[in-house]
Amino acid sequence: MKRTILLIGIPFLLTLYFGYVISQASCNYVMANHPEKEVPFNHQTHLYKYFPAMGMSKDDCSTCHMYDENGRFTGIPTVAECTSCHDPNGPSKDAGPETALRKPFLNKYKGTDKPWGSYAKQPDLVYFSHKVVMTAQYEDGRMKARCGSCHGDKAGSRNGDMIKGKMLMGQCEDCHTALHISNKCAVCHD
Amino acid sequence: MAIDLDKCTGCGACAIACAQENNMPIFEDDSDIPKRVSFLELMKVTNDRDAKYPDVEVCYIPKMCQQCEGNDPKNPKPPCVSVCPVVATDVGDDGIVSQVWSRCIGCRYCQASCPYEARAFNWWKPRYEGDFKNSLNPEVSIASRGTVVKCQFCSHIWKRERDRAVENGVLDINAVTYTPACVASCPTKAFVFGDLNDPDSELCRLLEKEKDRKFRLVHTIDEKDEKTREKLMHIKNFPNPKVYYLTSKAWIREMMRFK
Repeated sequence: MKRTILLIGIPFLLTLYFGYVISQASCNYVMANHPEKEVPFNHQTHLYKYFPAMGMSKDDCSTCHMYDENGRFTGIPTVAECTSCHDPNGPSKDAGPETALRKPFLNKYKGTDKPWGSYAKQPDLVYFSHKVVMTAQYEDGRMKARCGSCHGDKAGSRNGDMIKGKMLMGQCEDCHTALHISNKCAVCHD
Repeated sequence: MAIDLDKCTGCGACAIACAQENNMPIFEDDSDIPKRVSFLELMKVTNDRDAKYPDVEVCYIPKMCQQCEGNDPKNPKPPCVSVCPVVATDVGDDGIVSQVWSRCIGCRYCQASCPYEARAFNWWKPRYEGDFKNSLNPEVSIASRGTVVKCQFCSHIWKRERDRAVENGVLDINAVTYTPACVASCPTKAFVFGDLNDPDSELCRLLEKEKDRKFRLVHTIDEKDEKTREKLMHIKNFPNPKVYYLTSKAWIREMMRFK
């Protein structure tokens, strides 16, 4: 009996374990974004350390992530926007939190047309305007949605990785129902 | 929407504008009408097939989805919506019958139930030759093979205008105005697009004024009197389309009557 457990049970459990680990890693690889321009960006330090030092709130997502003219999101900032703080001739270390350091790796991307790659994407048939959702207010002036309502605690993340779990239609619908906004197909889809 | 057939010259600008706005694919044999994918078709009708030169009369009828609402406008029930097994098609708050192609399973019940043959089925994967792909409208998604697509009165333009209004603080849905591609492209201004629920709109005033000229495509109960109409509506769900046609020619009205 003991031998049977040793010979069959343990290999079975090991296979199960490694199978789980491999499948999870491969799923993560498939779901992850592999941008051509890689940036080791730490949201947490920027938002909790440097932003307050420079007199900004940690909810000021629009400092770097801006809207397009048509109300859509421009997404990830350009190199020029990064270097507007990170001066190429600035100090490389030993500066206070109110001074942005020189980031030599940004020079690598200078003058390249390579896209960053998007970290969150909606399908083609979804019509979504960030500006509308972000400007929607309750009658008492409170905002109906913040960045974090859909994007999760991005401010606490230490990398630029994609948010785990896709943004599903159920999430949109739950919010629409709670806020008494129409849930008809044509509101978002075309 | 109202279309003045007396003003229509049959130039086909509306059909082209529609195809361009909605990313209609082009296939080798697009003369095969039942298999062609297009939202707006220009129907050519003549008074008599055998008529000789002085007597022959021709009329072009732009035919798109008629955005039916069923017997009760408060609880719209178009013929295509009730048959859809997957809720891919629905009536929006603005009365437009929407179609979400990613939900569609391609059973084509809606196409069969449509009294106006306004729906199209993607028999093939949409293909665009050469540089055509660069000029596609980014606001309209390209439907995949095996799904039904239909005219939605350019609802993407409505969404764009709605969002622009909301950004400016206008939250009233009735304050949003827009023009579909076919209406904008018409050189003779035969199309009039507006709000049928608003009695002050240009469309409603026109329909009120042109009571004798207006008709709807093969709508059985329009010519019956009020009492018979109500009686019939208890028996059957009529499409009750929201697109009106105006004409002064008697033979077109005679032809479009359900016999």
